[in-house]
Amino acid sequence: MKLDPKVPGGPLAEKWDKHRFDSKLVNPANKRKFDIIVVGAGLAGASASASLAELGYNVKTFCLQDSPRRAHSIAAQGGINAAKNYQNDGDSIFRLFYDTIKGGDFRAREANVYRLAQVSNNIIDQCVAQGVPFAREYGGQLANRSFGGAQVSRTFYARGQTGQQLLLGAYSALMRQVKKGKVEMLSRREMLDLVIIDGQARGIVTRNMLTGGIETHAAHAVVLATGGYGNAYFLSTNAMGSNVTAAWRAYKKGACFANPCFVQIHPTCIPVHGSYQSKLTLMSESLRNDGRVWVPKNPGDTRPPAEIPEAERDYYLENKYPSFGNLVPRDVASRNAKEQCDLGKGVGSTRLAVYLDFSEAINRDGASVIFQKYGNLFHMYEKITAANPMHEPMMIFPAVHYTMGGLWVDYNLMSTIPGLFVLGEANFSDHGANRLGASALMQGLADGYFIIPYTIGNYLATISSKPNDTGHQAFRQTADDATEKISKLLSIKGKKTVDEIHRELGLVMWDACGMARNEEGLQKALDKIPAIRDEFWQNVTIPGSGQELNQSLERAGRVADFLEFAELMVVDALSRKESCGCHLREESQTEENEAKRDDANYSHVSVWEYKGKDSSPEFHKEPLIFENVQPSQRSYK
Amino acid sequence: MGLIGSLYRSSVGKKSIMAASGLLLSLFLLTHMLGNSVSFLGRNAFNTYAERLHSLGVLVYIFEIGLLTLFLIHIITGIILYLENLQARPARYSVNTSEGGRSWGSRTMPYTGVIILIFIIVHLMNFHFTDKSVPVADLVRELLSSPSLAFFYIFSLVALALHLSHGFWSLFQSIGFNHEKYNPLLMKGALVFSILMGTVFILIPVLTLVSRSFLL
Amino acid sequence: MSKIELTLKIWRQAKSDAPGRLQTYASGPISTDMSFLEMLDVLNERLTREGEEPVAFDHDCREGICGMCGAVVNGHPHGPEKETTLCQLHMRHFKDGDTLVIEPFRAKAYKIEKDLVVDRSSLDKMIISGGFVSVNTGGAPDANGIPIPQKNAEEAMDAAACIGCGACVAACPNASAMLFVAAKVSHLALLPQGQPEQARRALDMVREMDALGFGNCSNERECEAACPKGISIRNIARLNREFLKAAIFSDED
Ligand SMILES: Cc1cc2nc3c(=O)[nH]c(=O)nc-3n(C[C@H](O)[C@H](O)[C@H](O)COP(=O)(O)OP(=O)(O)OC[C@H]3O[C@@H](n4cnc5c(N)ncnc54)[C@H](O)[C@@H]3O)c2cc1C
Ligand code: HEM
Ligand code: FES
Repeated sequence: MKLDPKVPGGPLAEKWDKHRFDSKLVNPANKRKFDIIVVGAGLAGASASASLAELGYNVKTFCLQDSPRRAHSIAAQGGINAAKNYQNDGDSIFRLFYDTIKGGDFRAREANVYRLAQVSNNIIDQCVAQGVPFAREYGGQLANRSFGGAQVSRTFYARGQTGQQLLLGAYSALMRQVKKGKVEMLSRREMLDLVIIDGQARGIVTRNMLTGGIETHAAHAVVLATGGYGNAYFLSTNAMGSNVTAAWRAYKKGACFANPCFVQIHPTCIPVHGSYQSKLTLMSESLRNDGRVWVPKNPGDTRPPAEIPEAERDYYLENKYPSFGNLVPRDVASRNAKEQCDLGKGVGSTRLAVYLDFSEAINRDGASVIFQKYGNLFHMYEKITAANPMHEPMMIFPAVHYTMGGLWVDYNLMSTIPGLFVLGEANFSDHGANRLGASALMQGLADGYFIIPYTIGNYLATISSKPNDTGHQAFRQTADDATEKISKLLSIKGKKTVDEIHRELGLVMWDACGMARNEEGLQKALDKIPAIRDEFWQNVTIPGSGQELNQSLERAGRVADFLEFAELMVVDALSRKESCGCHLREESQTEENEAKRDDANYSHVSVWEYKGKDSSPEFHKEPLIFENVQPSQRSYK
Repeated sequence: MGLIGSLYRSSVGKKSIMAASGLLLSLFLLTHMLGNSVSFLGRNAFNTYAERLHSLGVLVYIFEIGLLTLFLIHIITGIILYLENLQARPARYSVNTSEGGRSWGSRTMPYTGVIILIFIIVHLMNFHFTDKSVPVADLVRELLSSPSLAFFYIFSLVALALHLSHGFWSLFQSIGFNHEKYNPLLMKGALVFSILMGTVFILIPVLTLVSRSFLL
Repeated sequence: MSKIELTLKIWRQAKSDAPGRLQTYASGPISTDMSFLEMLDVLNERLTREGEEPVAFDHDCREGICGMCGAVVNGHPHGPEKETTLCQLHMRHFKDGDTLVIEPFRAKAYKIEKDLVVDRSSLDKMIISGGFVSVNTGGAPDANGIPIPQKNAEEAMDAAACIGCGACVAACPNASAMLFVAAKVSHLALLPQGQPEQARRALDMVREMDALGFGNCSNERECEAACPKGISIRNIARLNREFLKAAIFSDED
């Protein structure tokens, strides 16, 4: 198979304009004849559904939750970037592009990222027009802040609820189209498989999560906007329902998967406190502006923090990175925290945490100043842990947060299956090996509002608008496969719960395929994962039947896919023998033990093609060519 | 009928009708309360006040019709709302607690309403559909010196005060007035209004019972 | 970390049209650091191992923002803590030996699907009836084109903070959805972008609310007290105002 990214020619800044002009149009009368399935109603899915329906297409939108308003996107706190340069501080489309591509450690496609920066401004306009209540200055102008170490203030925000407000905006646009009859919204439906007819994506099979009914839906094109797969690690900051199922089933039907091992780990999360823990909560990164990170110097020191004298504390970030100190990037901070805990210097009851101490800042600026800055975060922390960071140091630990990898897409956001488009976190397109803060929301909305509505026409104009129906044999076959898989799961009746097995997988992945990886660990994981998978298929227990609301069954289906997908993540991690972006490959370090990227050998997207159950996936390379920026090495010493 | 009808077809509309009728009834109560307080000035003053009032003739008649309509509107709407609200939760909770929003006044609105209704009927039989030639002061003394009737009056008037303690704030909320600055004042105002109303009205049966000179 | 043991009385109902009842379970040792939902997870893991069906309950973000979780604990929607969703409620707020009665949100407009899972699509339906600004993608004017006073933006945000969990309905003695509708109408009425459709929106959303079988507001203030986001009933007054203005003065019908 040949990967064609279909990047238009011409100068970087003109590519998108030119592409839009060259794109085929579907005439308005014909749009009515095309049915489009959108799976997912997060930022990407909701914005795409609404925009496509506004154009006149017939849209069917699916989501897992009882309402599209509850998609995982709702949890984003920090904000959304745009190159508006309202603050006159030197921002521009090119700077946002440059920061994003550099932040991604030069592992993303130039043209896509530039386009993202270009449409970023339209997103803000669109959201304001929908009534998104962004923060404002006294004079009534939009407020901005600097986020995630950016040198300019380009982040728009709505309190700590930016994702929620953006999603409610997209959701309201979606609901408006439901009212108009242009979108049929199907909630509590889980996509179980993709239906391919003559090599084209022609529909999906879903399970009605309330009745257990297996349903088929036909369309002229299928858009996946099903979010990220961080829950492969069991514990993550993702919502409980985030999964890889839709993407994975598409992969098994021929859509290539790109960079599955690119996972972002966020350094400031509330640590795990017990084996019953179900998820991890993110605390804003801004805390590191005033908090000092430390652990006891001596491994196994279990004294409470107040009893550990200054001389016996190790401010390891400040010591190791004198110029950046506590403000080193996410990956460096995360990696070092894990390293300290691995050395036995972790704190808290699980010994899997480091301190983030505000006492110096409180002494310096006064309690009221610090409380004003972080009061709401402290409050949230106290709610969960019952400890007040004004009086004792906070405990933090890194957690899986975002997945840069995803289904491979070309410039049109189409996967390697004609007619299957992938948007938002589910695709791999814009963040390279590391995502900058406040740019996932931007990407999801860019894909949904401003890219897919244009690019989908390129495909639809080439196919017949003849009505599609689910009578085709392929639908029956795919539905039967799905039904069979469910009965198989229900018939195991073993001894272990789905969560127990998921937890085991998560531990393996966290240890071997987390922020620091090495050949040996990855190889071991490659042995362990199939064993866990076998155990799952022999020993999992799922009470209840398939013909009802059965949450154990839902989870089992997703974990079954994670168990297959995890292996691909490890294979991908093994094949990338360089350190880059979020992760350190231990074999690839500088003399100062810092991540060493290897542009000569790894300046490419790793793309994996499914080759059947018993064969290993085939590896393809999409070379990355940088014509407008010069890849540089990071240094934080 | 257009506007009223369309208001009746919606919950907010019905509530606005409840509020408007409640407000007018409260204003009537205020005048009634002021009129009744003439009794504290003595028997003659009270009798003269009553005679003056009755001499207004057709005006009284119109006023009474108006009042009756208001009551009917308020009562019928109240009953509709009550029944609709019952239907809105067919299966009840096994544990019922308050989140801390409700007050005694608010949770008893329909019940205090019914007590007021019964009271009004009794009250009208006592003072309206009766021999108008007897001076009012005598009528009051005669009826309310019966402890059982006096206690019924006191009980009903407490219910009225309770009804107003919520109602007199609630009506403003129902017609859309709730201002960050003035709302706390309004809530206190409702409390003061209901206590004042209750006290003045209740004083009449109480004084009749305990005082040897009241209205004599 | 300490442990407590509780008696749980949980509403079990196999499906919408099946009868339901409270069933009693011993919680076993529960860490006080657990969230309420983690406590249910622990129970469910045990039930699963014993071959019993676990208790179905809705949840997703477990961060208090998606609005998916929610049950009535001892009569309190989202439990007894103020401004806290069930997923953010922690077990340290309970005492060893406590009995917790856990029931689904109840209202005519919320059908019980299973155990603690309810159908709240009626909330979506009210948004569909008018909870949006009619603007198509593309062609929006510059975001800074219309200045919006900070105070209005903040007030709009206060209302927009609604997570749509529907606890207001569950808490209301009349199962009224006024706080939910009011939050949306207020959010949009406070912004210039929402103003052109203000009258239509208020009329349509209230009508839809009534048609769905929610009760009438009696200004009991239970909703405000139960709301995990602390949304004020001032918004209900604003909705009343917008509705009456529209019904009496506007030419919309
Ligand atoms: C705690 C947290 C904070 C964050 N903060 C920020 C931030 O400040 N700024 C920023 O830019 N980014 C942030 N992010 C990242 C960002 O929120 C996400 O990357 C982004 O919202 C993903 O959007 P999406 O539309 O691609 O997917 P999602 O929002 O995950 O939506 C996925 C949709 O797909 C549906 N779905 C999934 N699988 C199936 C299936 N099999 N069948 C049917 N439907 C399915 C789901 O129901 C859902 O509707 C944060 C992430 C987290 C976890
Ligand atoms: C002098 C007599 C009365 C006065 C001054 C009065 C006043 C009020 C007021 C001001 C309200 C508040 C309206 C609102 O919330 O908007 C109210 C509500 C109510 N009244 Fe009355 N009322 C009187 C008699 C009655 C009677 C006789 C009944 C019924 C039998 C009644 C039943 C109700 C009910 C049920 C409500 C609550 C409606 C709701 O919120 O759903 N009232 N009243
Ligand atoms: S699970 Fe999302 S609010 Fe509780």
